[in-house]
Amino acid sequence: MYTLLIVQLAVSGALMGMVYALIAYGFQLTFATSKSINFGQGELVMLSAFFSLTLIDRGLPYWLVVPGGMLFGAVLGLFVERAAVRLSLEQKGEGWILLTIILGLLGFSAAENIWGRDDRPFPTPISSDPLHFFGIDVTPLELSVAIGVLAVMGLVELFKRKTLLGKAFEAVSADRDAAQLMGISATRTIQLSYGLSGLVAALAGILVAPITTVGPTMASVLILKAFSVAVVAGLDSGFGIVLVGLFLGALESLTSFYLGSGWREAPGLILLILALAVRPNGVFGKASIRKV
Amino acid sequence: MKKTILAALTMGLFTFQAYAADTVKIALTGPFTGGSAPMGVSMRDGAKLAIDEINRAGGIQVGANKMKIEVVERDDEGKNERGALVAQELSSMGDLSGVIGTVNTGVVLAGDKYFQEKGITKIITPAAGSASMTQWSKAGVKDLSIFRFSADDGIQSAMVVEDAINRKLTKVAILHDSTNYGVSGRDDLLDQIKKQGNKLQVVATEKFNIGDKDMTAQLLKAKFGGAQAILIWGIGPEMAAVSNGMAKLRMKQPLIGGWTLSMSNYIDNAGKNGNGTLMPQTFIEDPITPKVKSFIDSYHKTYGVSRIPSPMSAAQGYDAVYVFAAAVKQAQSTDTHKIKDALEDLRDPVKGVIATWKQPYGKWDPANEQTHEAFRRAQVVMGMVQDGRVVFANKADRQRLIKEAGK
Repeated sequence: MYTLLIVQLAVSGALMGMVYALIAYGFQLTFATSKSINFGQGELVMLSAFFSLTLIDRGLPYWLVVPGGMLFGAVLGLFVERAAVRLSLEQKGEGWILLTIILGLLGFSAAENIWGRDDRPFPTPISSDPLHFFGIDVTPLELSVAIGVLAVMGLVELFKRKTLLGKAFEAVSADRDAAQLMGISATRTIQLSYGLSGLVAALAGILVAPITTVGPTMASVLILKAFSVAVVAGLDSGFGIVLVGLFLGALESLTSFYLGSGWREAPGLILLILALAVRPNGVFGKASIRKV
Repeated sequence: MKKTILAALTMGLFTFQAYAADTVKIALTGPFTGGSAPMGVSMRDGAKLAIDEINRAGGIQVGANKMKIEVVERDDEGKNERGALVAQELSSMGDLSGVIGTVNTGVVLAGDKYFQEKGITKIITPAAGSASMTQWSKAGVKDLSIFRFSADDGIQSAMVVEDAINRKLTKVAILHDSTNYGVSGRDDLLDQIKKQGNKLQVVATEKFNIGDKDMTAQLLKAKFGGAQAILIWGIGPEMAAVSNGMAKLRMKQPLIGGWTLSMSNYIDNAGKNGNGTLMPQTFIEDPITPKVKSFIDSYHKTYGVSRIPSPMSAAQGYDAVYVFAAAVKQAQSTDTHKIKDALEDLRDPVKGVIATWKQPYGKWDPANEQTHEAFRRAQVVMGMVQDGRVVFANKADRQRLIKEAGK
């Protein structure tokens, strides 16, 4: 009975951890190519969820809403790249930090004004009636999150390894200048990575919305956790992000059971501090080599 | 040219004053936008229904003439700092007869001192936090112009505990959010368990943060502690997450908590998992008497809705206006200080949709804040969520209210 309890806690937590991982993956995609991340990623998640909700309200079936929402996310990602990142990267500056934060704030106010400040339910055809596996309860909804996360990450990784465009992506990630000398457009590749990052954020929003409900602040907690996951795992490894996500989610759940629910946020923060102090490139990160 | 403008202005000033002298100016305040808007808007709209009815009948009889009610509306957005500004502005108006409203206890604490300073009569509704009134008894204020028209958290927590005991339960878990509201709700519950004879054993006391969605850990603690019911104090979205988590873990125990469980953002987000949830209510959207029916119908018709966003807030706003109007009539004056005195000793019963109010308030006694609280246990019933609506949890309450209204 007692082991079952621990397993139930770990599984429930780990499934939430998958969402952290997916959002963190969005950070990782853009960081790989451009060494920049979108600090407004949480707002991207939220805006895409709201957009998808609007599609549902218009009567579109779920299987059309998912690609529609993802497309919207990708477009937003491209917009962020053009508006906040490109010029500052060209000038080798750090302006993208402030600009992506500002775009995020803008997105937040826009959402408040367009959709209101209330949390709204996100209808989904996937059932939330519990299934019983080996003595633990899991809802199909939670499973859909896990499957969606693994599927999209698998596809993106496959794309990076198997297609020409994907290889260009990897080349720019490895060495932007060298890739450019080989005739690969770094700008296009970075653009692509922001588009993909937006797409991933949108999927995260759509998957998690039935659980978290949709509101302007829906991603504000998630994004902090995702950031911890990204930093702890290192911004180089997609695989590491999934592992750390699962681990953090399970750890949170267990902590809040054993130490009390007030300590729930603590493990993530402690992990973050430890990672920054001991392995600043992340547990799965590569040490940066700087040639002088 | 300048002179004509000046003349026009002075004329305007005079006509305005002449007009103002025939009206009773009441301010309605509350969050009309933002997260607690369903309560604020319902309260305002309910109050305006009552005001329209009074005005259509000619107004309030003061001396030889009838005076109409003039409304000033202010949105405090549920924000403390905004609430303080609104209170400052209203209290400096000079010709204001009174204020009705405020949803958030924090806004009450931030703003009411300005009304009290000027002695402006205010009826708080529907904010329920105990601190709104206890702040004055703690300060030992001798003369208070603030009244409340809402079932305070003390009554509510007593009812929640009572309900659990009536169900012959012995073990409960308390879940609450980490805000002031949640923590003081937890303390009220623990206090009531002690007061009602320690018949309930608290097997787990767990908290959650605003924005938390995964309640597995807290619920498992309750489940493995053997809790037969979950007592909860929080607001809509997180309590919906608790209900959804309970469904996932196949926990069939009843969820009992504060009146916030009737908020539309709880009911909508919990969906079918919210069915059976219990909470104290001052008003249920159920046309039990002709008076209640006409109130509900005219709310639906006037505002084009099929469900009042917060029926309690609407009914309290409506009744509060009638209580206030009765005080104006008794005082035979629009002077806010005289209205206060009349409220403290209201001679004629006021027929409202919640109850018939007989002497709702007494002379303020700092040792007993109940003197300025209108609601007693008898005016509050248990409500239950059923298919997206709040209904009477006990048939007996419904019958009792019908009978009392018939008297």
